[in-house]
Formats: sequence, structure tokens, C-alpha cells
Amino acid sequence: MSAHSTHAYTGEAPKVWPAKVNQIPKEVFGDAALFEEELKKIFYGDTWHAVGHAAEVPNIGDFKTFDLGRVPLLIARGKDNQVRVFFNSCTHRGNQLETSVSGNRKEFECPYHRWLFSLDGTLAACPGSKEFAPDFKQENFGLAEIKTEQFLGLIMVTMGNPPPLKEWIGESGLPTLTALLGGDGRLKLLGYQKVRYASNWKGYNDNDGYHAPLLHTGFRLLNWQGGKGFQRMTENGHVIFEAELKPATGNGFLKDPSLIAFKGSNPERGSVITQLFPMTVMTKHMDVINLRFAIARSHEVTEVHYAYFAHEDDSEELVQHRIRQSSNLLGPCGMVSMEDAAIFQRIHIGNQTPGFAEFQKGVTSLTEIPMDVKQNDETGNLPRWEHYRKVMGFKREGEQ
Amino acid sequence: MSPVSEALSSTSTTDKAAKALLPLDDFTWNSWSAMETQWRVERLLSRYVACIDEDDLENWPEFFTLDTCRYEIITRENVERGMPLALMFCTSRGMLVDRIVSLREANIYPQRWYRHIISNVLIQSVDAECLQVQSNYVVLQTRRNGQTDIFSAGKYLDRIVLSKGELKFSEKRVVVDTHRVDTLLVAPI
Repeated sequence: MSAHSTHAYTGEAPKVWPAKVNQIPKEVFGDAALFEEELKKIFYGDTWHAVGHAAEVPNIGDFKTFDLGRVPLLIARGKDNQVRVFFNSCTHRGNQLETSVSGNRKEFECPYHRWLFSLDGTLAACPGSKEFAPDFKQENFGLAEIKTEQFLGLIMVTMGNPPPLKEWIGESGLPTLTALLGGDGRLKLLGYQKVRYASNWKGYNDNDGYHAPLLHTGFRLLNWQGGKGFQRMTENGHVIFEAELKPATGNGFLKDPSLIAFKGSNPERGSVITQLFPMTVMTKHMDVINLRFAIARSHEVTEVHYAYFAHEDDSEELVQHRIRQSSNLLGPCGMVSMEDAAIFQRIHIGNQTPGFAEFQKGVTSLTEIPMDVKQNDETGNLPRWEHYRKVMGFKREGEQ
Repeated sequence: MSPVSEALSSTSTTDKAAKALLPLDDFTWNSWSAMETQWRVERLLSRYVACIDEDDLENWPEFFTLDTCRYEIITRENVERGMPLALMFCTSRGMLVDRIVSLREANIYPQRWYRHIISNVLIQSVDAECLQVQSNYVVLQTRRNGQTDIFSAGKYLDRIVLSKGELKFSEKRVVVDTHRVDTLLVAPI
């Protein structure tokens, strides 16, 4: 007899979770109403969300648009070289201000009534203001900013009240994230790979960070073995991972093994991952620096912008090497890990069934959330699920 | 000028590009007339997409020159912003072979079928060594449940040379309009 849930299957996420900490009710992946709750409690709640890196808007006037849940954002670099994040909405009647994905502007103009905003958000012009409401003051109608903090250029925003960013990431995560961002965050954008996954954001999230290498035959065929390392979690759901990555020869599998050479990075820190709650994955594998900015579109669609970077101090040769590696190894078209994409969708389909997603490898207690896990344990995901459960207000069986 | 008025008044870049791309109607290349060259180029493109659509991928590298070649799938978004990152980027015959061996032996993905449609094959320039050819493509993708979707639309920018009597790509640049990939991209385009 296998484990079954005791409640009738409705497809609706249960409000009470099983007492066993390694069981996740599968309904959380396919419940459309739950997604609306997640928007309120997580995406618009007391959590920081990564929306970009300053290197994506390197020049004055550069901008990028992005979404936090359904909230449209406009990230722009001002004349004072400051990167600001605005709500992408004209302060007059709420018209979407900028429709391009990215570009460069001298100012932002709303075509509806020609309100004109400077790069720093100031309302510079609004034709016909003499006839506006008696209490209208132009200086009160600059673009609204979303609360923003940066860490080495990584742009994080929130609509709630989380602790200050560094505290929220946690002391234990900062050195790894620093290494991942090239030590000082002076990155240079190489370009994007964008992808739409037919998967709930939690299905994406559970599998896009570090997972046991069983899935990736590519790693084994390339003789690409991770060496010593660690996996660390925080109580608010982040995962920090580092592992040595021995320079691989390709094991005769590759006709052109130059693709997998190490040229710039330290093999001691060959594989570096920071996964921040709820759904930001950042990785550095070999010479590939990759920040994945994800958008939860609905309970069944997740969009991810894989942004790849070089470091400002790289030699031209190293930049060319990073471009080749970044364009071929990871992500939705990568020779090594394209199967992740297929897994996200299969996780999503397979979880539209009764019962639980079960975590096994590394589980030592059924009642305690594991905080001390080995490099290859799948239990690294459990603190994140526990944090999710608490933020969403789900009780455990037997809990008052 | 404000951004909006600027956008309204400027000539579109596509118009400018179209003028630069006027086809050459009358030339000879390697003793072939313009018409015969056009026919041979179209034959090459047809054979190339048939190779992919019929899942004869082991022969796909054969369409490229042996010594130096370049194959790239890059999004229009990255191209327009001057960014070099690609979706696939092979700079040697070995890398072309590695791509195919990898998808056959290492990668796990649900089977899908491609169907390429090519049109507007335009020889843009001709010199002693090579032809520069642009064409449009659409890839229809059919899943195992029978559903067909447009998977990718874009253009081929090809540099074609004559190698031992056969036309080969010394460079093939696939510029993808559909810059958001649906789930994953396994096979070449």
C-alpha cells in the first residue's frame, strides 16, 4: 500500500499539510486560486525579488522593462548614473508608460496625454496643466518607485517590508553570491536566452537550482565531475551551493573539447549557485556567469530570462570563450542541461494527481526540517518549502 | 524631439535594409547564370531543411565547409542590441558533430517533429569566393499529442561557397524573431 492522501481529490491545495516534512501536497502545483494567494503573500509580500542587474542598463538612458507577478516595472539609469526601478505606469491615468523590452531614451513620454518624465522619474512636462484640478502640483506626479536595494549591481525590489537586503540574503550566502557576481559586480551583459516553461513556478524552482546529477548524462559523458563542495540553506528558503569542478577533458566524447575549457575562473569554485526565495536562480559554472530572472505568469506558466555576463576586466579572448560556453552548455538550448526544461513540464503534468511529492535522499527525520545537508541531497529544497508553507499560512497536521 | 514623435517620423530601418538588399538579377558565378545559381541555392536550402525535418541529423554537419565554418542561432533581440550571445553557436565542424552526438546520446527530451518552410530566397551579393544569401524560414513543431504550433520564425543569413564542386555553408546565421523559446530548443534550425 503506498502513501495516499486521505482527502477527496479536488485539485485544490489543502490548507493543512501532512505532519511528515518530506511530503508536499501535489495540488500546490496546479491550483489556479492558490496562485492568486501567492501573488499577494509572496510576490507582493515581504520578500525581495531579483528583477535585473545594473549591467543590463550600462549607459545613461538605458532601460529595461520587467514584471513582478502582474506588476509592470521600468528599470532605468538616470543622468546621475543611478539605476531606479519605477512602476511602469503614467502617474496621470495609469497608462503603461514604456512598451519596449529594453532600449535607450532621453526621457519617457506617455503618448496618451503627452506627459513627459525625466530619466530620474521627475514629471518634466504635462501639457494643459493650467486646467488641472485645483490641488495639482507637478512635483507630486513624478513616477512612483518600487522599494529597491542593490547588491553588487543585482537589483532587488519589494512591495512589502522584508528585512534589509543583506540581512535577508544572510551572512552565510554573501561570499558565494559575491564570487558569483565576479567579486565586485562589474559585469558586462553578453545577451539573453528567454524561455517560456509550461510549469508552475514552484516546479521550475524545485528543479532549476542544484539537483543530483543523475538527470544529466551530459555531465557524465563529458567526464565533468563535481568535486568537494557544500550546500547550505537558510531558514527563509535560500540555497547556497559551491563545488569544485575539475577541468574536464571531454573524455573523448567531444570532437571539439575547447568548448569546456576553464579559462578565467577558479576551478576551486567551478560551480557556484545562489538560489533566492522565491524563484531567483543564479549560477556560475566553468566560465559561464548566468543570472536567471524569472516571472511567475500563472499557475501553469513560468517565463525565465537567462541573462549571461562577462566581467569588465576580461581579456577579449576570455570574452569570446564565455560567449561560446554560454551559448552552448546551459539553459534551454544547452547541450548539458536542456533536459531541465523537459523535466519542468513533466513535473507539472505529473503533479496534477492525488497525493504527495516525496523527498527522500538525505531525509533523516520526518518531523525536523533538515538544515545540514550533503552536497547531493535533495533535501536542500525542504527549508524553502517550509518557508513557503509558513508564508502561505498552511498549518501542519496536528499543529494548533 | 520626443521619443514618440521620433518613432513616428523616422523611416523604418526595415525600409532602409530592403533597399540595400535589392537582388542582383544578372550575373554569372562559376559559369552559372543568375537563374541557375538561384536554382542551385534553393536546392541546397531544400536539402538542408529536409535533412533536419527527416531527422537525418548525422548528415547535418556535411552541409558545412570542413576547415572553418560557423553556425549560429541568435535572437533578433540580441542582434539589435549588439549582443553576441546565441542560442547555439558552433565555430568548428567538431562542434557541429558534438551537438548532434549530444542530442542523440546525452539529452532527454520529448520527441517533437520540425517542419521547415523556406521562402524569399534572395542572393544578396556575389563575389569570386562566395554568395551571400538571405531567406525567410518558419519552423512548425508538432508534439506527440498531434498539436502543431509555430515554433520559430526568422531568417537565414548564409555565406555559401563552392567546395569540391558542391555548394556548402561556410557560415549560417539563423536570426530568430521568436526570441522566447517554447520550453527548449534541441535540434538545429
